Amino acid sequence: MSAPQTSLSHVDQGDPEVRRGQEERLSAVWATPKGWRYWTAVNNSEVGLWYICTAFAFMMFAGVLGLLIRVQLAFPDNQFLSAEAYNQTFTLHGTAMMFLFAVPIFEAVAIMILPALLGARDLPFPRLSAFGYWCFLIGGIFVCGSIFFDAAPQGGWFMYPPLSTKQGGIGADIWLLGLSFIEVASIAAAVELIVGVLKCRPPGMHMNLTPLYGWYVLIVGGMILFAFPPLIAGDFLFEMERAFDWPFFDPERGGDPLLWQHLFWIFGHPEVYIIFLPSIALLAMIVPTFARRPISGYSWIVLSAMGTGFLSFGLWVHHMFTTGLPSVSLGFFAAASEAVAIPTGIQIFVFVSTLLMGRVTRSVPMLFAMGALAIFVAGGLTGVMVAVAPFDFQVHDTYFVVAHLHYTLFGGMLFPLLAGIHYYFPIATGKMLSRRLGIWSFWLMFAGFNICFLPMHLTGLLGMPRRVFTFPGGLGWDWLNLISSVGAFVFAAGFLVFVWDVVRPKRETDAATRNPWKAGTVEWMLEMPPKPWGSRTIPKIESRYPLWDDPEFLTKYDEGRFYLSDAEEGKRETIITSVLDAQPIQCLRVSGPAVITMIAAGMLGASFIFATFHWWWLTIIATLGAMAAIIFWLWTGTAQHPEKAEKDIGLGSLVPLYISGPKSTGWWAMFITMTGDLTAFLGVVFGYFFFWTVHEQFPPGGTTAPGWQWPLVAGVLLLAAWAATWGARVVNGRGRVGLARLLLVAGPVAAAAGIAALVAGPWFSGLDPTEHAYPAIVWALVLWTALHIAVGIVMQVYCLARSVVGHMTPVYDTDIWNVALYWHFMAFTALVTTLVIGGFPYVS
Amino acid sequence: MSTDKGQVERATGEGTDLWRLITAPTIWAVHFLVCYVGAAIYCEKAGRASALLPVTWFVAATTAVALLGLGLVFLSLWRVRGFSVVGGDLNYLGNTPEERHRFLSHVSMMLCVLSAIGVVFVAMPAFMLGTCR
Repeated sequence: MSAPQTSLSHVDQGDPEVRRGQEERLSAVWATPKGWRYWTAVNNSEVGLWYICTAFAFMMFAGVLGLLIRVQLAFPDNQFLSAEAYNQTFTLHGTAMMFLFAVPIFEAVAIMILPALLGARDLPFPRLSAFGYWCFLIGGIFVCGSIFFDAAPQGGWFMYPPLSTKQGGIGADIWLLGLSFIEVASIAAAVELIVGVLKCRPPGMHMNLTPLYGWYVLIVGGMILFAFPPLIAGDFLFEMERAFDWPFFDPERGGDPLLWQHLFWIFGHPEVYIIFLPSIALLAMIVPTFARRPISGYSWIVLSAMGTGFLSFGLWVHHMFTTGLPSVSLGFFAAASEAVAIPTGIQIFVFVSTLLMGRVTRSVPMLFAMGALAIFVAGGLTGVMVAVAPFDFQVHDTYFVVAHLHYTLFGGMLFPLLAGIHYYFPIATGKMLSRRLGIWSFWLMFAGFNICFLPMHLTGLLGMPRRVFTFPGGLGWDWLNLISSVGAFVFAAGFLVFVWDVVRPKRETDAATRNPWKAGTVEWMLEMPPKPWGSRTIPKIESRYPLWDDPEFLTKYDEGRFYLSDAEEGKRETIITSVLDAQPIQCLRVSGPAVITMIAAGMLGASFIFATFHWWWLTIIATLGAMAAIIFWLWTGTAQHPEKAEKDIGLGSLVPLYISGPKSTGWWAMFITMTGDLTAFLGVVFGYFFFWTVHEQFPPGGTTAPGWQWPLVAGVLLLAAWAATWGARVVNGRGRVGLARLLLVAGPVAAAAGIAALVAGPWFSGLDPTEHAYPAIVWALVLWTALHIAVGIVMQVYCLARSVVGHMTPVYDTDIWNVALYWHFMAFTALVTTLVIGGFPYVS
Repeated sequence: MSTDKGQVERATGEGTDLWRLITAPTIWAVHFLVCYVGAAIYCEKAGRASALLPVTWFVAATTAVALLGLGLVFLSLWRVRGFSVVGGDLNYLGNTPEERHRFLSHVSMMLCVLSAIGVVFVAMPAFMLGTCR
């Protein structure tokens, strides 16, 4: 690496020598590690690539399981798979496709291409992306591997109790803990991507100029924060029932299996749109390129994506139409399920109108895009049919629903994704996929898919139920099933052609030229093959399609005439801008390769895996190890003091290198994470009031345990701990460091006493969580809150230590800003918990 | 569509942000939850044979409040009524805070319409059913 320079080099971009020096420094700073250290890379181009490959590997594994299902169902009374093996096969097929492919591939693709779309060098938290990836890999292998030990979950991908609470073996535990662990990766990705879209857009990219993919990622990131946490809450309750016999879902002891269905589908239905929207977002990038015109109705796409995102949260009960809920409840959800067709339809119409108004060029991505639209419209229409409750009563749990959901997922997710992979392949690898193989694979897949799933509508209407391992002949299902099985293999053949196209050795002639599709959006400014630094210089954006609108754009880019065209100090840097109008506000130093993220993910994975086998001591040791690793990571890698206060990033912009509070990326990450956490907490609170709704008398027998006294004490102490933390932030900012440290000593003491008081209530009133759902849910709230406060104590002590060693000062105070924000959420959590457990028994 | 200079040059401010964007759909979400939870609790506590009339009135009142809220948000955005600064259309291709404000106002206003449709959709079942069955 050349010696770090402090003088400004970007004043003379016309000089090729100056530019060569800049490129050398950028190459050195952003170099991908060599040898085994390659795996310590955290840059989005490496992590994104691993992520995509891993997700596709899990997809192919689940695809093979799907083929096994079709072999078994090809003929009546088939003996190919036993009932138990079949149950494991279809459960793991659905689970892996949903949790290990459909959701992670969104995160994977977004991590890969979002920085390019935003002209950024990287996302703001590269190590977090890497951490999420390793979590995903470990959890995925654990869940998938179980089938080789005949230990896979076998209760269906939605794990309904009481079947799955009563099932022996560790299958259900693998599902619960393995997937909870993977949800960590999803939420990590959501944090990364939301902050990425809001704060890492290039200067000048106002919200109305943001690529539509960015809008979709923002909306889907927000949806993840409200959709995944209820499932985490559900997993928490479910695992407490399986491991410790707390009867949340056991009707004999006051529980209710429907509570799981609610928590699962509050996650499960938005999840369908979490899968669908980012894939359709790829179409929103592809369609204008090949229509050779800007998208017609940009604001309509934003409006309908936003509308779909919201409405999708009002659909979950349509999975529960046959559970005996009152008709009026079914009506609300049927109405919302019909309403969501409006914004979904708008998006399709915008694509069609863009194509009609443009001059369409043929290409493999367009082929997949058109196939996607055709399949998705069919799936959407059957969706409108099953949204009508009486129709759903007839086809519920039949192959009609299997056909419907595969049409929506293939049309709404897989085909758009394959279009996107063909389209963005050059950005990932610098090579093109073959046009000939692409056309072959498309037609094989398109035909195979329809041969497989179109007959299933009829199979379902003829009454064939889902999830049966075999069926008797002569019911009119025989030949339909055989056709479906043949179609499945035709589809698989097409997919193999695609896989071969991706992995085959590429020749010189496969090398991509610059902007191979002649697109107008900013990601195609990249050199081919792409450089490790991402963007040579971070552009100033003035329109939605700069490559079409500004003939000088590429020249200015190549000559580094925008922002950050150098790495004078030898640090990895990108620009942070304001949320609405993308004014530069900070030059952010992002972290480089690290082993610690892998260690942290490994430790956390170990703790979940040990818990599956109920090895509690090992679980505790691994959890402490994970915490230690994360603290080491934070201590050594975050909130570092820059060598100077401000930096000239070019084009006359002088921005700070360090900011704290609501303008900083760290504060936003904490805010977003805690929003998700709060949603999970509200999921547990929902459990409490759900039980109140379904019971004649709740708490049972009119008990007022745990009483109001201990919860009151706990509430006061925990609010005091919150006030101390908040106060510490304020006085530290005013330069009174001594007082801040004092408050950071008082805070943990009050918090620890608060935990003790919180536990004392149910403890001394003798509430036994295995006896009834009431004590169980009270203990669940206490446990949830206590664990969160304990984490809050670690944070307070962390800030104290940072202050004592001089890492945290009145100027460099981002640690305490973020910890105080955490404690704002803790204050709310503590308040709700104490009011519910201590107050509600007196008013109900 | 007017490209009248006077209209284009009329300053509309810069105030519309992402919170305003989610206001209308949030009203829809709250309306939806209140209707659903209210009806579910009523039917669970009153028994399945009971008349739905209280729910109908409750939903009607909630719907009126929600539509009023959406109407107020709509009116505040209607005052912006800004076509694109650069094109006098609804494409919003300009690169100024004013243009971003007009764009977000337009999208937010359309979300009011979508949310109002959603609110009316969701309210309908309460008027079509007679009992809690």
